[in-house]
Amino acid sequence: MAISQKKNDTMTTNYSKRWQLHIFTTVVGMLAMSLGIAQNQVSGTITDLDGTPLVGVSVFYQSSTEGILSNGDGTYTIDLPARADSLIFSYLGYKKEERWISAANSAITLDVQLSPQALSTDEVVVVGYGVQRKSDLTGSISSVDAEEIQRIPTPNLGQALQGKVAGVQITPSSGAPGAGAIIRIRGVGTLNNASPLFVVDGMLTDNIDFLNLNDVSSVEVLKDASATAIYGSRGANGVIIISTNKGTAGPTQFSVNSYYGIQEITNFIDLTNAQEYAILSNELAMNDGRPEVFEDPLIFGEGTNWQDEIYQRAPIQNYQIAANGGNEKVNFNISADFFSQEGIIKGSKYDRATLRINNQYKLTKNIRLGHNLAFSYIANENAAGVVGNAYRSDPTVPVVDSLGNFGNTSVRASTANPVAQIEFNNNFGRALRSLGNVYLEMDFLKDFTFRSNLGLDGEAFQTKNFTPVFFVSSIQQNDTNVISVGAGYNGSLLWENTLTYSKEWEKHRLNVLGGVTAQSFRSENLGGSRRNVAEEDANFYFLSSGQLNGQTNFNSAFEWAMLSYLARVNYTFDNRYLFTASFRADGSSRFGVNNRYGYFPSFAAGWNIHEERFFSNVPFINRLKLRASWGQIGNDKIGAYAGIPQVDRGLGAVFGPGEILNIGASIINLSNPDIRWEETSQTDIGIELGAFEDKLLVEVDYYSRVTNDILVSVPIPDYVGSRSDPVINAARVLNRGWDVNLNWRHQIGDFVYGIGGVASTVYNEVLALGEGREEILGGGLGVGGLLGTRTVVGQPIGAFYGYQVAGVFQNEEELSTLPSVGIEQPGDLRFVDVNDDGEITPDDRTFLGSPIPNFVYGFNLRLGFKGLELTADFNGQSGNKLINAKQMARFGTPNFERVYLDRWNGEGSSNTEPRVTNGGHNYEVSDRFIYDGSFMRLRNLQLSYQLPAKASRAIRFSNIRLFINGTNLITWTNYPGYTPEISSGSVISVGIDNGQYPIAKVFTSGIQANF
Amino acid sequence: MTSRIKNIINGLLLGLLMLGATACEGLLEKQPLGQLTSSNFFQTEEHAVWATNAVYNILRDWEVHVFSYIGLTDIISDDSDKGSTPTDANFLLEIDNLTFTPSNIAFSGVWSGYYQGIYRANLAIQEIPNIEMDEDLRDRLLGECKFLRAYFYFKLVRWFGDIPLITAPLEPSEYQQSNTPVAEVYAQIEQDLMEAIGVLPLRSQYASSDLGRVTKGAAEGLLAKVYLTQEDFANAETYALSVINSGEYALLERYGDIFQPKGENSSGSLFEVQATALETGGAGSQYNEVQGVRGTPNLGWGFNRPSDDLIVSYEPGDPRREATVLYPGEVLPDGSARVDDNPNIVNERYNQKAWVPEHAGGNGNGPGNIRILRYADVLLMAAEALNENGKSADALPYLNRVRERARQGLSGILPDIMEIDQNALRELIWKERRIELAMEQQRWFDLKRQGRLSEKMKAVGKEFVDGRHELMPIPQREIDLSGGELQQNQGY
Repeated sequence: MAISQKKNDTMTTNYSKRWQLHIFTTVVGMLAMSLGIAQNQVSGTITDLDGTPLVGVSVFYQSSTEGILSNGDGTYTIDLPARADSLIFSYLGYKKEERWISAANSAITLDVQLSPQALSTDEVVVVGYGVQRKSDLTGSISSVDAEEIQRIPTPNLGQALQGKVAGVQITPSSGAPGAGAIIRIRGVGTLNNASPLFVVDGMLTDNIDFLNLNDVSSVEVLKDASATAIYGSRGANGVIIISTNKGTAGPTQFSVNSYYGIQEITNFIDLTNAQEYAILSNELAMNDGRPEVFEDPLIFGEGTNWQDEIYQRAPIQNYQIAANGGNEKVNFNISADFFSQEGIIKGSKYDRATLRINNQYKLTKNIRLGHNLAFSYIANENAAGVVGNAYRSDPTVPVVDSLGNFGNTSVRASTANPVAQIEFNNNFGRALRSLGNVYLEMDFLKDFTFRSNLGLDGEAFQTKNFTPVFFVSSIQQNDTNVISVGAGYNGSLLWENTLTYSKEWEKHRLNVLGGVTAQSFRSENLGGSRRNVAEEDANFYFLSSGQLNGQTNFNSAFEWAMLSYLARVNYTFDNRYLFTASFRADGSSRFGVNNRYGYFPSFAAGWNIHEERFFSNVPFINRLKLRASWGQIGNDKIGAYAGIPQVDRGLGAVFGPGEILNIGASIINLSNPDIRWEETSQTDIGIELGAFEDKLLVEVDYYSRVTNDILVSVPIPDYVGSRSDPVINAARVLNRGWDVNLNWRHQIGDFVYGIGGVASTVYNEVLALGEGREEILGGGLGVGGLLGTRTVVGQPIGAFYGYQVAGVFQNEEELSTLPSVGIEQPGDLRFVDVNDDGEITPDDRTFLGSPIPNFVYGFNLRLGFKGLELTADFNGQSGNKLINAKQMARFGTPNFERVYLDRWNGEGSSNTEPRVTNGGHNYEVSDRFIYDGSFMRLRNLQLSYQLPAKASRAIRFSNIRLFINGTNLITWTNYPGYTPEISSGSVISVGIDNGQYPIAKVFTSGIQANF
Repeated sequence: MTSRIKNIINGLLLGLLMLGATACEGLLEKQPLGQLTSSNFFQTEEHAVWATNAVYNILRDWEVHVFSYIGLTDIISDDSDKGSTPTDANFLLEIDNLTFTPSNIAFSGVWSGYYQGIYRANLAIQEIPNIEMDEDLRDRLLGECKFLRAYFYFKLVRWFGDIPLITAPLEPSEYQQSNTPVAEVYAQIEQDLMEAIGVLPLRSQYASSDLGRVTKGAAEGLLAKVYLTQEDFANAETYALSVINSGEYALLERYGDIFQPKGENSSGSLFEVQATALETGGAGSQYNEVQGVRGTPNLGWGFNRPSDDLIVSYEPGDPRREATVLYPGEVLPDGSARVDDNPNIVNERYNQKAWVPEHAGGNGNGPGNIRILRYADVLLMAAEALNENGKSADALPYLNRVRERARQGLSGILPDIMEIDQNALRELIWKERRIELAMEQQRWFDLKRQGRLSEKMKAVGKEFVDGRHELMPIPQREIDLSGGELQQNQGY
């Protein structure tokens, strides 16, 4: 009746045969289970908290490799142990229960209730290069439940994490299908690439596009130095450790997970219609001293709404099936998933198929072999860059004119017709990626574990772009078709060898880790273009379809490598006093020989106050922990060869009667051979509290991060003559603030409710700028790339900088009496004379606010009654400014935002909006274009229904859950763009809206089922 | 079995030790792949040639000889208006109307373009002397680079006045530069051109495959203009006459041919930016496109429209007007198409000198050489200098050679000038310069050195402010990035 698994000291060479045998014995064992109860046994019923029997729960003794599974009615029977032992009840998705069974002669009845895993608090937490009891943690690590992030319909983990973790600010990088997210953990500690390091089942990577959210079992966000310092030079921006579903011993569970939904744009930008455009254009012409453009603006009506023309409702869908199971020797989790999303901009699309195989094999009692392998295939179609052109296009021009030609939007608005752009855009990408690791773990000499982990991340990618022959206008045309193809690979190999010594004796718990790791990376690109492709048809989008005459080819590559040594000691005394120290030495090929190695130590201590005897009488509070940490981490994201000046060979010159292009080459981009590591010191003090039997959980952290030698590409004067700006170690920046995490969960009978919230404050200040530098300017705005941000000591990074608007000059008298630049006319903006010298000069520019929010928050509400559950997630931020840079860029006379209708057009008509112009004085960087970036968003609202266990079992399912879901439903903001979440690559140019791809409102419905 | 696994483990442990002990040094040595770097460049004669060619390369750049350049030479002057559709490229309208602010991108455009050229020249001038190579070639390459550096500075100093004078690549500690007085900039320009004259071959001494490289004649011609600009008429006369007496140059027979493909590198050309339309691109410029016919035929964007003021200033029957201005309804010079009327363009007409026939790679891949210094220009400089030096009678033959060619054998037009009153002749020479060199990006600088900007701009209704508009504003970005060292020009 019990499953008896013979110990296999020898492994047969034909492993698959043995595996089949296991399945067979498992099935036989299950059949045998219901046969009866003998003497000297433990028996009982296993149910969930609602009393529903749980089928297939693994029941085994800690010291044994034998186990049984619970029956169809939740009952189990197992022999009494030979000597006292822990009996363990393990079931996927539920908290493991342990009962102490003393060796007795009589039968014992033991009923067990399993509670869902989500609420458990003393679980094991994944940390860098290992796991740790949560109660032993000294670092600040936020764990996020898989279920929390799987509610959001997105293929990208970053986007799903938004508003879930205190201290983490997440901005979708765009609303495009498959788009990623910009993640900032505890503010901006670098002017450079500030995105965190991802560790997926032990493999280090910067790109998690391949990751299927349904495969994720847990996410740990490592925030303080005690947690991240073990990742050394790559830990400064925080580390996100992702664990994927592992097999669990027990009968095979299948799960099906799918949703389907519709996305649509959340809002349009308020733009003028054709008639209003014509009126404003005439007024503008008059102001410029030109004849009027439209004879009779009133003949126009609404005209073309270009936003309407390019946006669409688009489907989003996901289908996943997974199998999970195993026995004491082999555990497996296998999944397949297909995700498909069309963009809300016509012509964009993202399809992804992923496969995952996570297995672990117990080779002997002491040796385990395992692998986590993921394969993904991504195919995407990229929309043309039409957001900006739909914003700018002339509304008096039809999409297609009476002759059937695309309307020419270049006459007045100097823009390409966005609908034509979509029509003639053929841009495809494909990527095949495999990321995984194979590891071997060996326990030896009782307390030692050696682990060797070999990770491989390989991606083969291809891009294709085909431009047909077309003519829309003189600025939108192509007279020879051309196909461009690029292909290449990114390959990364990681080898980690770690040795762990783990020992518990009396009141001591000691864990020592040491290791060596090496990682190398290589990327190579190959491609070319051909003209005059035989047919303008996707079947001919190949280089060989074009002519050799006029071909171009390219081939390039780069490499980097790291070699690291790491060590960590965790020591816990009597569950009360916790200590951690870690150290990592990193060598990186990215840095010059003189600065090649960096050293990153950390120290931390914790105190579990609730374990103290004096605390035992404290009412309500069942857990209380204090912890503090300090450490140093680094950031190496500077590109592979930032320190080496490279020669550009594309600088040819034509000579000779045959007009031959002679090779020309030189160094045209300056670089800095003295680049050093960017180093961050971080201090963290935290308190964790659990009250009312953990119904209330509170976690509060104070952090302070100082980043030295920040690496940044700093604008240098053009007269230096470099084509691009070199990267230098430029500044020291402080980020400090509070992270708060609050959770309340309570069950009253069948009614469950919960409130959770995360919040963090960020205070960002530049402490010093290097090398005698007084300021760093950034932010290319408007037509001319005006520098609108200024980074100086005492201000936040990338603070907006420009003129303050005092009003509008109403008449000649004001012009002659009030401070002015001297070129203004009545109706032009009047700037504040900040230095009070009676005239407006560039010295009157001042700080206009910070693009960094000082408060970032998220909260969720959860109501459950029996199988019904309603969840609502909100997130938001406040205290930051945005600049509407797209409004500043008027090359011709593009369409107007409706705010222009409030313009000055005569004395007393407006004191806020100037007369209509396309450039010049009124388009200097000023607070005319700056807006409050605060917002709060109903990020997600979900109603789900879990079928009663009886009903699902009647159709042979163990669990069925149905849901409807709405994402990005409501946003409260004063910002007039598509979204106040403006992404940016460079941290000295943040919060600049040059025409962001809008986010979508998404409505989905779906099902999750297990059988 | 177990022992095999143990062997594996032992192997891994061994590997671990090896990794720690030996593999490390090699692992972390990563050099750029497929790339020349500072450590292996400037080693050979070939590198010296490449680095010099890279200076020529920037002459075709958007920021050096294309959009903003045309704005700040022709459009800003009384020779032409912005052109194109009324609102396209608003920043050029501000240039045309003199209503610009220091943040207008025309200024930052040419500023960064010309200083990038200066950087490339500085780097080559600094590094080439260290290369072991043929000495004559080395001297010639240095001469070419010095000419080009002088050419870049000559433009900048006339636009912006007191500019940072940088003659070697800057160290980061030197990034905060201040204004250098105009006189010092000119001194450097003169020195560079003198040194170039000392080493550069005559046009006829170059190998045919080097056609288009800077010659001694080009350097002398440019130096003549530098002196003329500073009103050093004696030296201007010397160098202009040196070019004329070299016998290297002669006026091309037909004026209209100069600007056609067959007129490239003609006998009357001292220096041209070489361009050609390869299928693959990379050898053309957008000089032709931005000025090309907008509409049908579709040749470009239609900027730089010859002004009414220019058109009425031609003498009756002067064939040069026809060669300079392209009207709707007119047939293109190669007879390939008729220019249709474009209703979106007011007062439609184009700079015919920038026209090029159909070519590979689309409009943006313009094959037209940009004519920088012509023999007629040198003749007129000689005439002007001689007249200023009190040798008015000696000036007449040079002036009349230009008129004679323009006349193309027709009688009754463009008679020889016999005027020997210095003041009257000066006016006539200036007028001749305007007509001969119209739409060739000379007018603004000529008016500036002649001290007539204010008068001529006001005459066409532009709001020229004396004491301000003689110089362009230094881009605000540069002033900000100089850490307050660089001072803005007066009035901005």
